[in-house]
Amino acid sequence: MQAQDKLAFLLSLVPFLMEHDRISVQETAEHFGVKPKAVREAVELIAVSGIPGETGQYQHGDLFDLAWDDFEENDQIVLTNLVAIDDAPRFSGREAAALIAGLQYLSALPENADRSAIDSLMTKLARGASALPSQVAVEGSESDATLALIRQSVTTGVQIEFDYLNSRGEHERRRVDPLRIESADADWYLRGWCHLRKAVRTFRIDRISEPVVTTEPISFHAGEVTLPDKLFEGTADDLPVTIDIVPSALPLVADYIPEGTKTTQVDGRVRANILVSHYHGLKRLIAGLPGMVTVVAPEEARRVVADWAAAGAARYEASDRENNARQNSTGSAG
Amino acid sequence: MSASAPIAKVPVEERLFSLVLALLATETGLTKHDILSTVQGYRQRYQPAGDNANLERQFERDKDDIRDLGVPLETIDTPGQPGNNQNLRYRIPRGDYELPADIRFSAEETALLGLAAMVWREGSLSSESRRAVVKLRGLGLVAEEPVLDYSPRLRVRDAAFEPLRAALERNAIVRFAYLKPGEAEARVREVAPLALVQHQGRWHLHALEPHTEVTKTFLLRRIVSAITTTNATVAAPVGDQTARALAELEQVWESHTAEVAVVPGSDADTRLRKRRGTERLPDGTLRLHYSDANIFADELAGYGPEAVVLTPPVLRSAVRARLLATAHGHGSGHEASRSDESEVARG
Repeated sequence: MQAQDKLAFLLSLVPFLMEHDRISVQETAEHFGVKPKAVREAVELIAVSGIPGETGQYQHGDLFDLAWDDFEENDQIVLTNLVAIDDAPRFSGREAAALIAGLQYLSALPENADRSAIDSLMTKLARGASALPSQVAVEGSESDATLALIRQSVTTGVQIEFDYLNSRGEHERRRVDPLRIESADADWYLRGWCHLRKAVRTFRIDRISEPVVTTEPISFHAGEVTLPDKLFEGTADDLPVTIDIVPSALPLVADYIPEGTKTTQVDGRVRANILVSHYHGLKRLIAGLPGMVTVVAPEEARRVVADWAAAGAARYEASDRENNARQNSTGSAG
Repeated sequence: MSASAPIAKVPVEERLFSLVLALLATETGLTKHDILSTVQGYRQRYQPAGDNANLERQFERDKDDIRDLGVPLETIDTPGQPGNNQNLRYRIPRGDYELPADIRFSAEETALLGLAAMVWREGSLSSESRRAVVKLRGLGLVAEEPVLDYSPRLRVRDAAFEPLRAALERNAIVRFAYLKPGEAEARVREVAPLALVQHQGRWHLHALEPHTEVTKTFLLRRIVSAITTTNATVAAPVGDQTARALAELEQVWESHTAEVAVVPGSDADTRLRKRRGTERLPDGTLRLHYSDANIFADELAGYGPEAVVLTPPVLRSAVRARLLATAHGHGSGHEASRSDESEVARG
């Protein structure tokens, strides 16, 4: 912890201990999500701290005090003298803004469906801040129907079933025990035990259609299955691809470049080797970053991307021809 | 340099904590001399007859660190001696320090706030939300266990974000090079940041151009230089700038619509249909809203032959140009485009 973080902890710990006449180090540590050692150190510091007082000498009554025997022998915290602090500190303007923006971002969650409750929570945060919350905000969104169904399936302990379109463009009906909802910016994912694949799988929420809550009980609850850290795990079958990236576009492809990847500079572009599970996903990625990222090798990957883009362009040609033909025929008829 | 003896070193957090306690306990405020000579962590290093310049600088930094946590450390003039810098007094007014008694959070609210804090996992927003959670826990409530395991994350990948946020706090004027689409060269802009807002997954800067008094919105992605923060500042703006910025972006998004033919059952069909505000016309064509034609064109180009823009013409030609450039950039000849054309169902 940095000194500032330690100070925030001390200022929050004192009112917490005031509320509890007697509480164990262990319980306090669990409540704050810190190690027992951090609590002991903080309590020891509080116990010898205080105010300079009239004399400027930090005399006994001007200091906090602790039932030392209870603390040292039983690991129990009992403050026996209090100074200066009466109540919990306010949030800083930036702290309040971080939480408010976080709540705005989460407005798609079914838990946040009650807009008026969320609004009142945001107002409370702003009023509980010592300064105006700083001007950072995130656009809210409507509560997501698929997320609501997923939550319902977990609450009632039944599997959810849906049509899923994978990145190869294949449709399948999947039955899943939902384990976790994850997100990265505007993209939301469901991670769950897939009964079709008999394995943990990640699904993009926006590729899910026709979801229904089944009557089939789930086999796994959250916490019973260890989820890999990464949303998409690499496999031995992954294909290596070399890409060139315009430096300003690097953040846009950061997710695809594993940490520690060696990159080189080629003609003012950044060259990197990445692994992809198949070229179907690659062609969409590259075509969606036109002029920013180019596949250098292998030749087959280049061809898949070129074909995909060319097929797209060809549809415009075809659509132009149709329009022209229509115009000509209406022209001759009139 | 002072020859302060290497006596028992007081940890930084102990000095900061002692300073907060001392300033909370005083009604009338303490002078800098009072603080340096009596408060734990300073007094050990104080030279009664010597030079305390180092210690004074330490005090200045400590004040900033404490204020950073939202502690309202204020400066007041000594009564009868206004403007006398030597006699400035420091204190922390209790009412502004303490969380108002009526602001408490239910277990449900605490759980939601815990999730909201989890959203930020990098940069300064992450340390701030972590601290906010510590303060929240200090209130004693235990969060309700969520039914479903959530792991939400908002990333701030734009290098300009942190310096702009810092400038925003200080109402400082910043300078940066901005590349507008369609312009060949980036132009240097000088603006006063008013708000940073995320709309449609992208961060925007809402800012005031001081000499024209016009407010403008910039996409952080198009800032192509480092941010230079100048010493010039503007008066703090009045009112909720984020709400204004979001409303303006929403208006732009609302007014831009495109009609796109999609291959039924394709990725484009599934995902574009799920975009906010999408309307499905009787013939299956999708009417979509967007904020920025260039960015939306990139997105649509990713769908290749699955989506064809019908209107507006500017978006249609933008997507087409992108597809041609990508095909070209990957060595496509004309044969390739022909062979694939027949495989694609007409939208």
